[in-house]
This record gives sequence, C-alpha cells and structure tokens, in this order.
Amino acid sequence: MLSGLPAVLINAALISALYALIAIGFTMIFGVGGVLNLAHGALLMAGAYVYLLLARDTISVPVFESMTLHPLLAFPLAVVIVAVLSYLLYAVIVQFVEDNPVVTFLATIVVALAATEVVLHYAGSATHTYTLIPDGMLPSTIDIGPVDGILTVDVVGFVVSWISIGLLWVYVTKTDSGRAIRATSMTERGAQLTGVNVHAVRARTWLVAGALAGIGGVFLGASTSATPNMWLHPLSLAFIIVVIGGIGSIKGSIVAAYLIGFLQTGVGEYLGQNFRGILSLVLLVIVLFVLPQGLFGREFDHE
Amino acid sequence: MKGTLRSALLPVWNVLCMLLAPLDRALQPIANVYNRTLGGHFGEMNGLQFAVISLGFAAIATVPFWSPFYSETLNITFAVASIWAIFAMSWDIQSGYTGYISFGHSVLSGAAGYTIGLLILHYDPSMGPATTIPVAVLASLVLGLVIAVPSLRLRGPYFSLITLVGVLLFTNLIFAFSGWTNGELGIHQVDPFTYEPWVRYYYMAIPMLLVALGLIYISRSNVGMVLVTIRENERAVSSAGLDPTKFKISSFVLSSIPMGIGGALLVYYGRAINPTSFVEISNSIEIIAIAVIGGMGSVVGPLFGSFLFFFLEEEFLRDVIGDSSLRTLVLWLFVLSVLVFARNGVFRVIWHGLGAVRGDSE
Repeated sequence: MLSGLPAVLINAALISALYALIAIGFTMIFGVGGVLNLAHGALLMAGAYVYLLLARDTISVPVFESMTLHPLLAFPLAVVIVAVLSYLLYAVIVQFVEDNPVVTFLATIVVALAATEVVLHYAGSATHTYTLIPDGMLPSTIDIGPVDGILTVDVVGFVVSWISIGLLWVYVTKTDSGRAIRATSMTERGAQLTGVNVHAVRARTWLVAGALAGIGGVFLGASTSATPNMWLHPLSLAFIIVVIGGIGSIKGSIVAAYLIGFLQTGVGEYLGQNFRGILSLVLLVIVLFVLPQGLFGREFDHE
Repeated sequence: MKGTLRSALLPVWNVLCMLLAPLDRALQPIANVYNRTLGGHFGEMNGLQFAVISLGFAAIATVPFWSPFYSETLNITFAVASIWAIFAMSWDIQSGYTGYISFGHSVLSGAAGYTIGLLILHYDPSMGPATTIPVAVLASLVLGLVIAVPSLRLRGPYFSLITLVGVLLFTNLIFAFSGWTNGELGIHQVDPFTYEPWVRYYYMAIPMLLVALGLIYISRSNVGMVLVTIRENERAVSSAGLDPTKFKISSFVLSSIPMGIGGALLVYYGRAINPTSFVEISNSIEIIAIAVIGGMGSVVGPLFGSFLFFFLEEEFLRDVIGDSSLRTLVLWLFVLSVLVFARNGVFRVIWHGLGAVRGDSE
C-alpha cells in the first residue's frame, strides 16, 4: 500500500511533526530549570489515557464516571488536565528536589514507573486504540498526491503540531510572560536581575510543557495505541532529539525532530524495521562527541 | 516541612537514646578490638554500629536456617536480593562515589549474561560455569572500558545520557540480531548451579559478601577518597597532581567486574537470558533505586537497600496488598518518599543515628 519515495517522505513528515510535539516540552523544562524531566513520557501517556477516559467508555476509574464526550470537547479537556498534572508534578515533587540533579532524575523516573502501575491497575495491560476523528466528519484515510491510505488522524496531528508550534512561538517572542521563560532559559541570574520571578517562570514552563505533552500524547495514542509502556519509546526519542537539537533550544528540537523522523522512516523503509532505532542512536553518539552542545544549543551551565 | 518532621520526632529520639546508650557503652570494648585490628581498612564503628553490622552479617549468613519461620519464599527472595545487591554496590562504587551517574549499568551485566548465553548456545552446550564465568566477567570488563573511555570525557547530564544510549543501543542490537540472540524470547539452554534452594542461596550470597568486602575495602582506601573528591571538587584532584580521568575510568572498570559477576550469577539463577530481565532500561533504574534507598556513596547502603527493596516487594507488600500493580505502585511511592525526605538513604539515617546515641554525633 505504502511504498516508494513519496510515501516515505509524507510519512516521515507526518511522524516528525509528532516527534516535535513530544520533544519541545522536554527541552523547555530542561532549558528553564536544568531539570531532565524523565516523567515527560508519562505525561504523554497521561494524554492518551485521559482522552480515552473522557471520550471512550472502555476504561473507568472510581469517583470519575466514564463518559463519551465529543472528541472536539474531549481533546482540549485532556490537554488541560495533562497541563495541570504536569504543574502538580512540579509543585508537589520536583520543586523540593530540583537543587540536586541526581535526585531529580530519579524522582521523575520513579514517577514514570509509578504512572505505569496506575495505568496497569485501572486500564489493564491491554492495548487501547482510538481515533480522534468523529464519525462521519472526515474519512478515516485520505490520499495525498500519488500516495493513498494515509491516516487522517496523522494529517490532523501534523496540522495541530504546527498550529501549536506557531502559538508557542508567538507566546515566547511576543508576550512578556513568554519572553520571561526564554530569558530564564538563557541566563537565570540575568532574568532575576531584570525582575523576573524565576520561581513563577518555572511553574509556568511546566504548565506549558505539560500542555504540549498532552497534545502530543493524545495524537501519539491515536496514531499508534495506548499501552502502559508507551512512555518509554517517546522518552528516549525526546532525549535523542533534544540532545541533537541542543538542550534547551526550541528551534533546535524542531529541526532535530524532522531530522530523526526522516532518518528513522528512511532506515525503516530501506534497511528494515529492526534497524530503525539504531541509526538515530549512532547519530546521537556522534553528535554527543563531536558537538556536545547540539545543533542550536549552548554549553550546559546550571551550577 | 523537614524541620517540623524533625522536631516531632525529637522526643522519640531522646527516649531511644536513653535506652540504647548503656547498650552502646557495654558493647564498646568489643568494637574497640575490631577498631584496632580491622577498623583502619573497613571504617571505625562504635559499639552499637558494630553490633548491628555483626548481627546483619550473621543474619545474611544463616538465611536458610531462619527464613522458613517467616515464609517459604524468603530464601528465594534473599537470593535474588543478593544478586541485585552486587549490582547496586557496583553501581555505587562508580556513580555514587564519583558523582558521574550512570544510567547504563544493566548493559554490563547484560554483556556478561549474553556472553554466557551465546557461548552455550552457539559454541559448546556442555560448557560449565567454571569456564563461562571468567569469560563473561572479562566481556563485561571490556565493554566497561569501551563505554568508559569515550563517555567519561562528558560531564553531568551528558555522561548520564550517553550511558543511557548505551542501554538503548544494546537492546536494539539484541533485537536486530534476533537470529543469534533469540530476540525477545532470550536464551533458555542454561543449566543452573543446583536445584536445591538453600544451596542456591549460598551460591548467590557468598559472592555477594566477598564483593561487598572488596568494595568496602577499596572505598575506605585512598582510591575511595580520590573518587569522593572527584564528586565534590574535580579540580582539587587535578591540583593535587592526580589525573581525575584515570580514576574515573578505573572506577568504571572496577564497577564492571562485579557487574559481570552479578550478571553471571543471574544467568545461573534464572536459567535464562532475555532483554527484559537483563538489559532493558528498567533494570538500570531498579539498580539506581536500590542504591538510593539504601544510601548512595556508602557501599553498605546499597547492600541494605537491596534486601529492604526485595523484602518489601516480594514478602511484606505481597502479604498486605494482593493486586500486583498496586503493590508495585506502593513500592515506587516508598522510593519516591525516600528521595524527597531522606535523600541520603535509609541506611545512612539509621547508621548515623546509631553513631550518635551517646551524643557524640559524627
């Protein structure tokens, strides 16, 4: 069904848009607080499962009745909930340990592992699939040029990804509260000296990153499936993308997301699916040794 | 938050001190004999600390005799805990001491495991542990060097990242060469040391105690001091005329030898090698979690942490909570609260408490 160069290119572009969504939140949190948030994958997973909870009646948790909201309502609601979860993660745990990077690593990865168990407990180990496209609104697959049978949800994800990136760009360049985020990630002391409340900026960054993770998570779950271990692969992807792009650089992670997306799809198509992950890891190792600060990054400096 | 917790516990602590201080005084002469003879090599203790360590040692040495009184499975649990104690202590001598946190230690035990598996599967099925284990340890040592030499040029999170990449790469390679490694299913053609559970416990516990003694000895020596200094202030090491890179690499290699031993034991314990129980990233995380709940940078802490972790996971919580995912959730929340409230580890809290019962706090 899908073969030839046009199909590879289109698929790569679609998957790269998703990768960009996954990576941006991760890089923002690192840029602002110097925190490697290993629970980022868990936030993506939360996006998929919260959406399932709101829009499908396949899983249910106590207190909260399972419901079947319209996707157009469930999607923004899921994004908001994940953003709040991300903020809570910062407010309840991370802000007490962020002075020590090792403890922060561990605390966030333990949160991710705990999240896996929460999902296992309430939703089981089964694979849940869902679509974001309401019945009858759009066809489930569409044709682009010579390539047919592309999942509509992936195309919608591509569009939403670029809308989010655009909004984020406007936020961090045109508004004071967004510019404060960028200033803090450039130099924390400088931001403090110009009157930026660094503490509030961190909290806000977690909120924004959480929202992006929520969007990414819902589309990730829709384009593949929701499982209790779905957080690990995107987390390692986010790692790879962020290091290649330069830790803390939003522009860098978008470029790197497309680089990795095209590389992986190309390798998967021409060398075999088993080698899909290996080449990007090799690329990462090369980047780490040759250009440790990444394509658009600065030297790690959070003493 | 921590201040109020401390003041709330103060009366309890005072009562404990009153009760324990005479005991400590009574035991001090025995501890002094130890301090004069071995204290210089393994660290000095007061009476109470000496008593606790001796009791702990005796308890580990006699698990098969007393464990049936608690539960039938306890000696299996502690055999597994011994293997993970080796992993956690090995991780600690490298990451806990130098502060260069490795996320990739499961690769080292995985290399040992897969060496044994591949030898038995593709070379000679009749090979015994006496030949496979040295080869396996050598393999993990070589891999340790291969990882350490380039990656220790990087600092902080970049070092952690590259070790993490090591794990991902290794896992991917296992799947990419499924023809050799059997991919997800793993290799099952390994015969165990023995089928007798209590003998099997000693096969795991004795190497663990030897590794512990060796690592404690090293950590209390000048080498250990240099490693700690690398963590606290790397420039101080250079200005003392020592090459920090050399020490960092040797600590990584030093840690890959016991990792290899532990990996080999795990093969002969579980009779199978597969990515899930050896290489995958969750194994590295579990190693770190164990070391951290015990107390990083102390060697004995991770040992204690491993027994505590597996006792909670396989025995205590299993009796209390039926549902398996809920049980694991509680375990991770426990690890999380140790991280937030006692980031130096449970063992260290107890140890310093014992050291301070007579008021002479360290």
